[in-house]
Amino acid sequence: MKRFRWQNIYLALVFLVLYIPIFYLIFYSFSQGHNMNHFSGFTWAHYQELFQDQRMIEIVLDTLLVALLSSLLATIIGLLGALVIHRVKKPMWKNTLLSLNNILMVSPDVIIGASFLIFFTFLGFKLGFGSVLLSHIAFSIPIVVLMVLPKLNEMNTSLVDAARDLGATQPQVFSRVVLPYIAPGIFAGFFMAFTYSLDDFAVTFFVTGNGFETLAVEIYARARQGISLEINALSALMFLFSLVLVAGYYVLNQYNSSKKGRKRRMEANHNR
Amino acid sequence: MKRAHGFYSVPYVLWLALFVIAPLVLIVYQSFFNISGQFTFDNYKLYLSSGTYLRMTLNSVWYALLITALTLLISYPTAYWLSQTKHKQLWLLLIILPTWINLLLKAYAFIGIFSQGGSVNRFLQFFGFGAHQLLFTNTSFILVAAYIEIPFMILPIFNAIDELKPSLLNASKDLGATNWQTFSKVVFPLTLDGVKAGVQAVFIPSLSLFMLTRLIGGNKVITLGTAIEEHFLVTQNWGMGSTIGVVLIIAMIAIMFLTGERKKRGR
Amino acid sequence: MAEPIITFQHVYKRYDDTVALGDIDFELEQGKFYTLLGPSGCGKTTILRILAGFTEASEGKVTFKGQQINRVPANQRQINTVFQDYALFPHLNVFDNVAFGLTLKRTPKKDIKRRVLEALKSVRLAGYEDREISELSGGQQQRVAIARAIVNEPQVLLLDEPLSALDAKLRTAMQVELRQLQRRLGITFLFVTHDQGEALAMSDEIFVMSDGKILQQGSPVDIYDEPINHFVADFIGESNIVKGRMVADYQVQFVGKQFECSDAGIPAHEPIEVVLRPEDLVLTDVAKGKLTVVVDTQVFRGNLYEILSHDADGNQWLIHAVHKAKVGQEVGIYFEPEDIHVMRFGESEEEFDARLEQYEGDD
Repeated sequence: MKRFRWQNIYLALVFLVLYIPIFYLIFYSFSQGHNMNHFSGFTWAHYQELFQDQRMIEIVLDTLLVALLSSLLATIIGLLGALVIHRVKKPMWKNTLLSLNNILMVSPDVIIGASFLIFFTFLGFKLGFGSVLLSHIAFSIPIVVLMVLPKLNEMNTSLVDAARDLGATQPQVFSRVVLPYIAPGIFAGFFMAFTYSLDDFAVTFFVTGNGFETLAVEIYARARQGISLEINALSALMFLFSLVLVAGYYVLNQYNSSKKGRKRRMEANHNR
Repeated sequence: MKRAHGFYSVPYVLWLALFVIAPLVLIVYQSFFNISGQFTFDNYKLYLSSGTYLRMTLNSVWYALLITALTLLISYPTAYWLSQTKHKQLWLLLIILPTWINLLLKAYAFIGIFSQGGSVNRFLQFFGFGAHQLLFTNTSFILVAAYIEIPFMILPIFNAIDELKPSLLNASKDLGATNWQTFSKVVFPLTLDGVKAGVQAVFIPSLSLFMLTRLIGGNKVITLGTAIEEHFLVTQNWGMGSTIGVVLIIAMIAIMFLTGERKKRGR
Repeated sequence: MAEPIITFQHVYKRYDDTVALGDIDFELEQGKFYTLLGPSGCGKTTILRILAGFTEASEGKVTFKGQQINRVPANQRQINTVFQDYALFPHLNVFDNVAFGLTLKRTPKKDIKRRVLEALKSVRLAGYEDREISELSGGQQQRVAIARAIVNEPQVLLLDEPLSALDAKLRTAMQVELRQLQRRLGITFLFVTHDQGEALAMSDEIFVMSDGKILQQGSPVDIYDEPINHFVADFIGESNIVKGRMVADYQVQFVGKQFECSDAGIPAHEPIEVVLRPEDLVLTDVAKGKLTVVVDTQVFRGNLYEILSHDADGNQWLIHAVHKAKVGQEVGIYFEPEDIHVMRFGESEEEFDARLEQYEGDD
């Protein structure tokens, strides 16, 4: 029993370490001072400042736009990619495609950023919104594939046979059986793509050029100049936004796992 | 059917060709050109002959090793004990939650925490140790990098431990093993894959985290990532940058080879 | 004889380098219950998949009501399938699963409702239409799968080992139910199974398969009583098989003795095999018996004693006896001449049928 308490203290410490910096930021966003050293009275001033910062608001909107567009397009292309990989039957080809798919998952951000920069320059593509959007789509596609593919693999082929047996055409099989079945995977993929895009700093930093900025790039620029409590206010808001996103994802996951639970029960019945 | 097959695979295959294969080929291609656009092997010659680049690479690998070791040391017990708690999935979610906060913001937080008048220094002063230069040191770089990577190490280890069948632990105890023996002879070997996955997920980014070396490390530590960023965006010597990029890619392949297939960096 | 509803004519199925089906040739009549029986991997499911349209024959002709259907896609065949794992759509409830095929055909809503409820009633699942698939037991899922197939009023229903996932008691009940359902609907059932008991209990006709070939076709009684070769005899029920020799018509020799039998048309001195079913062997005194054996083991099976014994030559004899014996005891075995079934080596089904006709014509 005593050992158990030591473990909890250790876990509590780890949680403390993980969350202190975040709450530290949020705490000082309400401070009247201009640094993160002394809390000198409560104020909303930094939030007001943030909401009047036309440039910052524009950047936030741009960031959200890029995240939304890139995750939508990445989801569509990734879904098609998962279908392609699923369709390939020869193990050698399947593994080759999977390895190629995963290259961008395992590559360090700087490599992706640098190589995309060379690529866009090589094509004479103007750096800016377009190049950032294309890059975000590109590095989000593999995660969508990895989220959808297990759902496709898990789907029993006899479901497709059954649909055809009952008179469904190829498009009907897809829309009425396959799509509903893999929908949780598609949602998870979309969500992951969205957070990847919001999170990215390094790739964007390389391919953004001068005219276009995302939030991460802006924060980097401002952080290099020193502390500004407006960023604290921003991070508090982003933390809230993350919480909402995670809560949404958690609900989605719960929904998935309850579905899985049902499936397990079904299998148990099946084996009985 | 065959035709439809061809049609819907176009976007994905196009992506593979344009954004996976072409950039990789281009970065290798670029590494054979000097700053004025002439074909040359000089970048590689310079890299291999100059002590600066080799030392930088070794340094980067060394720091990545330190970060990985520190992260592993903190993460394994956390994952192990986490798996024994009630509501472990909820706790795990709380571990992962900070990864959803933008990296830059977390780094920014540490600028405040480690600054001259920051909390840590005040804490030290309170105990009579006096203020120290914390920001822009190698230690601060390692600590912040480890802080950022911890969840990525905990997750695969937790999953590996969670997949262990309880009957194995019972069997081990039934056969007379003590708690420690059960851990060292059953649990740890069986969760080694999770550790490997975690090491991969931490080591490779640690080689390339350039924003941290700038914001926290104060340019004292130059990682491979910092060097690439420097060459591409500051000195505009893309050839040399690409050469270091190729080195980083080789290092990455070596790590993946050493630790087996890299699992996806789950969140 | 009515025109067959389905024919297979010299059908082959080859995968890269293996032959899954070799020269399959059969006809199915309207309204009968057929069973494809064989061990796993014998090709019975491949026949089903070719018939359903999930895979294409490499060679040969498949017809449906006289029309070749080799290239007709699965969704345009008047044939429906009950899958081994039921293949119920997990995202649809019972009603929507059963209605799936009708919805695709744009059947009016009112008709869909009436027919779905009717189909559920016929599988004794009235009132279950709003349930989720995951809320059903294995047996209930099985019935939904059947309802989903028959609601489309197919001419032929294919059933791919649909009872294999059920427990023994439920399986027996479902056998009776399926047979009744088939009689009521009056459509052709083609049932695939590896369980010989199931096949014997339900079928009008059985096709015994092995290694991608149909070895024997016939009514359950024919197949049980007149197995064409060692494999069929062994696969259908338990049997004692010993080597012997034909002496003359109606005279066969095995275990060193000569016996009267009911087989003819085989040249004298030809080596043959003899099948004796364990339930045809009657325990008696050594003096009255045609064979003398020593009892080795005896197991009580509830409705009979399963006795394993051996004769002086070392042949094993399995006996299903009503009364018990004593282990180690010497007993006599008695059997009638018609209990002896003679099998020739390498005789094909056509040759077998021809020979039977020839000597039965002599009588």
